[in-house]
Amino acid sequence: MISGGGGRSSSTSSTSSWAPTTWVSASGKRIQREMMELNNDPPRDCSAGPKGDNLYHWIATIIGTPGTPYQGGIFFLDIIFPTDYPFKPPQVIFKTRIYHCNVDPDGHVSMGILKDGWSPALTITKVLLAVRSILTNPDPYNAVVPGIAHLYLGDRAKHDDIAAECTVRFAK
Amino acid sequence: MSSHRNKCSSNIAARIFDRQIRTPPPATTVHYARQFYENLVPSYTLYEVECPDHSFRKFTDDGQYLISFSRNFQDLIVYRPRWLSFSCKDEDCDKHDLPSKAKRFESFFTQLYSVPLASCNERICKDFFLYMEGNQFGLFATSTAQIHDAPAVGGAIQGVPSIEKITFILLRLEDGVILDDKVFCNDFVNLTHNMGVFLYDDLLAIVSLRYQIIHILQIRDSGNLVDVRAIGEFCREDDQLFLNSNAQGNAFSDKNKQHQLPGGHIEHNVHQGQPNPGNSFLSGIKQRLLSFIFQSIWNEERDDNLRIQTLRKKFYFHFQDYADLIIWKVQFLDRHHLLIKFGSVDGGVSRNADHHPAFVAVYNMDTTEIVSFYQNSADELYLLFEQFCDHFHATSRNSMHMNFISSHSNNVHALEQLRSIKDKASSSSQFVKKMLASLPFSCQSQSPSPYFDQSLFRFDDKLISATDRHRQSTDHPIKFILRRHPYSLKFKIKPGPEGGSMDGRAKNISSFIFHPILPLALSVQQTLFLHPSVVNIHFRR
Repeated sequence: MISGGGGRSSSTSSTSSWAPTTWVSASGKRIQREMMELNNDPPRDCSAGPKGDNLYHWIATIIGTPGTPYQGGIFFLDIIFPTDYPFKPPQVIFKTRIYHCNVDPDGHVSMGILKDGWSPALTITKVLLAVRSILTNPDPYNAVVPGIAHLYLGDRAKHDDIAAECTVRFAK
Repeated sequence: MSSHRNKCSSNIAARIFDRQIRTPPPATTVHYARQFYENLVPSYTLYEVECPDHSFRKFTDDGQYLISFSRNFQDLIVYRPRWLSFSCKDEDCDKHDLPSKAKRFESFFTQLYSVPLASCNERICKDFFLYMEGNQFGLFATSTAQIHDAPAVGGAIQGVPSIEKITFILLRLEDGVILDDKVFCNDFVNLTHNMGVFLYDDLLAIVSLRYQIIHILQIRDSGNLVDVRAIGEFCREDDQLFLNSNAQGNAFSDKNKQHQLPGGHIEHNVHQGQPNPGNSFLSGIKQRLLSFIFQSIWNEERDDNLRIQTLRKKFYFHFQDYADLIIWKVQFLDRHHLLIKFGSVDGGVSRNADHHPAFVAVYNMDTTEIVSFYQNSADELYLLFEQFCDHFHATSRNSMHMNFISSHSNNVHALEQLRSIKDKASSSSQFVKKMLASLPFSCQSQSPSPYFDQSLFRFDDKLISATDRHRQSTDHPIKFILRRHPYSLKFKIKPGPEGGSMDGRAKNISSFIFHPILPLALSVQQTLFLHPSVVNIHFRR
């Protein structure tokens, strides 16, 4: 909608404009390949793409799954790839406020696969699927916000009420 | 119809007789009554009237008060317009010139009071004044000097100037008593031509450009300014409370708290809940905006693969541009909906924002939803603007005469004029942008005077119009010509001295202050030098 982005944004021309001018690193090639993979087989209720022409900084969107307290929410996330990707995991940060025991107060997603459990075999599609699945099934035993985890285990109904209200207030 | 029009005399006696024997078509009574303004025009001019050296702002929309400020912009001086009366010894006094005693400002206006509004380092913002007709309350603003290269601290937007103290003052015009005030510190509100503030009924929207917050206030009948909500970082009035009350579990970042200042002035709330650099959560209004754009693209495309491609090109690629948009200007559409203009930081402060990309959104304050979103070059929005312009002119309920301000949606002559500009325009998209640049409308920026009713009079709108602006003046008088038979020149308005300007080189700026009801107008001509202005009074003798 904003004019001036031009042809750089389409996948074919993006490849062609990148190749001759810049040396495309192994990580860049890998990220491009993952982008194609994501385009060809997008996971349900998820989407993502590079922000501007920076291949290492993506924005992702997860639509709150119906039947969960996050239903109706549109959650935006930053995905930041390290230069030595895929040997190091990407950082995933919520840009939309969320009430969740695995998301720290600044929005950083804390999951095994984004830390020690990372494997170069994992892809951005798999990361998005994993984030979406913790919205359905939080992991209170590996929580970064103990208060929410306690509430989730002790009083699930109250937890869901707060999470749902938070979705209505901040994620619509 | 045309045969009738020919029969209908423009003679005032004939019109009065006609009024006695005929009932106008339903719902046109006021329009018929307004035709009498063709007979009663401010055609007599008193040149260079001896008058106090004030800056005359405007008549209130009910015609009760003339608002003026002292030259040092510290005091408010309010006058009551009176009709000229004088006695004459001779029999046929109409033929005589006015006695010199009558040719004075004081024979038209009585000073009601003068009140100081600004302290020594403040000045009254001379372009700002809003009138709440129901209560006869006036809203004024004073400010300290503007700092252009203010550092962006506490969540302020980089590149927006800062004013140490802006005070909005609510005053009862009947007796000049100050009822309440609201102070904004180290903030920036665009006060030229009421741009940053909009009054609708008893609701007031004030746009803090610097902190990107739309403050919604209510003016109570008691004369109090009450905070209703602040839209920006949060959308609902209790969002901050919700975050704080759920923060004991450390659910949410509480970094914002450190900006909270101890009590005192309400303006400290401004600094609370600002996005700080470490915390990259989208603000409430930005989340709503981005999710609206996202969903409209998502719902447009059914095929999963195509959808993600479209999103990548139209949404993710431009995500930062959207996220960086700032609120420029706001108006009410009704008590629940705001029309919000978003644009880049550069365009928000500069005077000529035409070439900056801009967007307008309709936002429902109660449901906190974005209802629609358009780029400022959207043909669809232009069509709405062309056909339903009056819906954008949200006027408060109890100001009836504001309904008669000519627009291209209610007046065929104004529409013709718009169409001819459209036909002449070299590029359609440029034309659309130029037209849509006036949205959101500024509050109370048009004079309800019937002499600007384009179904009654024709005039050159480059020289004069209902819109309250300073204009470069020419030495030629401005002609008001009848729209109806006999299409004759009815009166002229000439600002400046009778014999033309003394110094041909000087560029003169004129402003015109028309009474909303009476055939009475002031023209004020200023040279760019420090000469006192030349005030002419135009009235019906």
